[in-house]
Amino acid sequence: MTVSAFWTASTIEPPPRPNPADRFETPNGAARPSFAAIVASLHGRTGKTLFARVLADYFLLSGQRPLVFDTDFTEQTLRASFPFDTVVADLSETRDQMMLFDTIAARSPEARVVDVSHYVFRKFFKVMQDCDFVSEARARGVEPVIFYIADRNVDAYEEGRLLRERFADGALVLVENVFLGAIKERTLRSAGYRAFESHDLCMTLPLLDPAVAEAIQDAAVSLSDIITQPLSRSDDDASLGLTFEQRAEMRSWLMKVFRDIHRVTRAAESRAPRCAPVNSLI
Amino acid sequence: MKPVVLMVGADKGGVGKTTVTRTVLDYLAAKNVLVRAFDAEHPRGTLQRFHPDVTEVVDITTAADQMKMIDTLATSEVKVSVIDISAGLLAETLKAFTDVGFFDLVHEGEFNFGLMHVVGSSVASLDEIAEVLPYAKGKHYFIVKNFINDTSFFEWNPTVYRSYFRGAADAVEVTIPKLNEMAYEQVEITGVPFADFVANRQANGQAGNNSLVLRGYVRTWLRHITDEYDRVGLLDRLYDRTAAAA
Repeated sequence: MTVSAFWTASTIEPPPRPNPADRFETPNGAARPSFAAIVASLHGRTGKTLFARVLADYFLLSGQRPLVFDTDFTEQTLRASFPFDTVVADLSETRDQMMLFDTIAARSPEARVVDVSHYVFRKFFKVMQDCDFVSEARARGVEPVIFYIADRNVDAYEEGRLLRERFADGALVLVENVFLGAIKERTLRSAGYRAFESHDLCMTLPLLDPAVAEAIQDAAVSLSDIITQPLSRSDDDASLGLTFEQRAEMRSWLMKVFRDIHRVTRAAESRAPRCAPVNSLI
Repeated sequence: MKPVVLMVGADKGGVGKTTVTRTVLDYLAAKNVLVRAFDAEHPRGTLQRFHPDVTEVVDITTAADQMKMIDTLATSEVKVSVIDISAGLLAETLKAFTDVGFFDLVHEGEFNFGLMHVVGSSVASLDEIAEVLPYAKGKHYFIVKNFINDTSFFEWNPTVYRSYFRGAADAVEVTIPKLNEMAYEQVEITGVPFADFVANRQANGQAGNNSLVLRGYVRTWLRHITDEYDRVGLLDRLYDRTAAAA
């Protein structure tokens, strides 16, 4: 009945993988772009991989089964969560660079989520810039959105500012993870931080109960299940060892983040130049 | 404006001479310069495969083909004639052009002449430079270090290097950076000019299906080369514009 270990753990039917020939349409018949979500942060331990996972589940629940790319060749954390939908890419290999960028820029109704490991941060964005990724992707009806998680350091905002400049024609969403604590005085005064003061695409990852955060670190826990399964007081199911209240909190946390993702992706879409009709296939 | 002859040569094979010629043709085309090319790799013609519209294969050792190149200079619409000289024929070709009086005409101001000498990493390459120098006097002499196939290149002894270059004080050094191997290979297979590969065009003019990553590598590489040719004022020198005097 099921197609993957991920889905075996889940109780809902997986949506079928979209047929690339299908077209997304707005009510007035114009083609709608599919998203290529690129999740990055300058340093490690910013909640990047968890956020990439949330994004993948967001697309999953909105009916665009995502294709997930994990660029951490050593750890392959994301792959553990989406074993059959995840491709691990070693960016030191030209072949893998081609596989990654050519696939995420290809015309397809699937959403794409890329978790850019901080080990390959510079390499990734250099290749992305060199191959003129934003315009190449748009020409194929794919809307790239960079989700940049800034940590609390000065250089993280400075790097984010540079990133926004380099990909000025694409969308960059600044993601603030409350879990990382208060922003340092020095950071608040930095030019990089101030450059984002009037930035329009921002979202926040709200604070999560540490026990809950701990529980969802388990790659086998399906975030989609938490949303789709009825919240019951009976604890006989695989309830992650969490109390009813903790599961409720998890659920409301996810809904908050999903709503924010929905808001920023719609905003990015409406700002993007009209994409070419799907029929003009390259 | 005077017609320009630009020779690209090397005395030994495998230094990427034709690759350099191809970058020059792309560069001139991007600057809207009408150009024609002669491919002296008779009868095979590697250059012709990439730039068939502007390239003619010639046998540089025959009088008939020498005439074809030189006698048409003044009458042709074309501003720059690029000659890709096959391996081992550089000194010989320079001698032949001397014998037919081409360099006298250059001296009298009929034509402009430039020489791009693609050198390898060995001392043999330095010997080559010594051999070519007498012809290069007073001309636009570019010594091209081509890193395209190799990174650990040019570990010349500085003393030896200087002794050779003393005679070539007005030589201009040009560096061609390395290109990602897979990208280079894909362009070889596609058989189109680098600029067309970047624009994703096939030889038949149709849209191609080349990897955007590989196209990105070629785009960046070509941009570096354009910057390098701009830096040395390649076009200004060939046209004897004032900028070259500096």
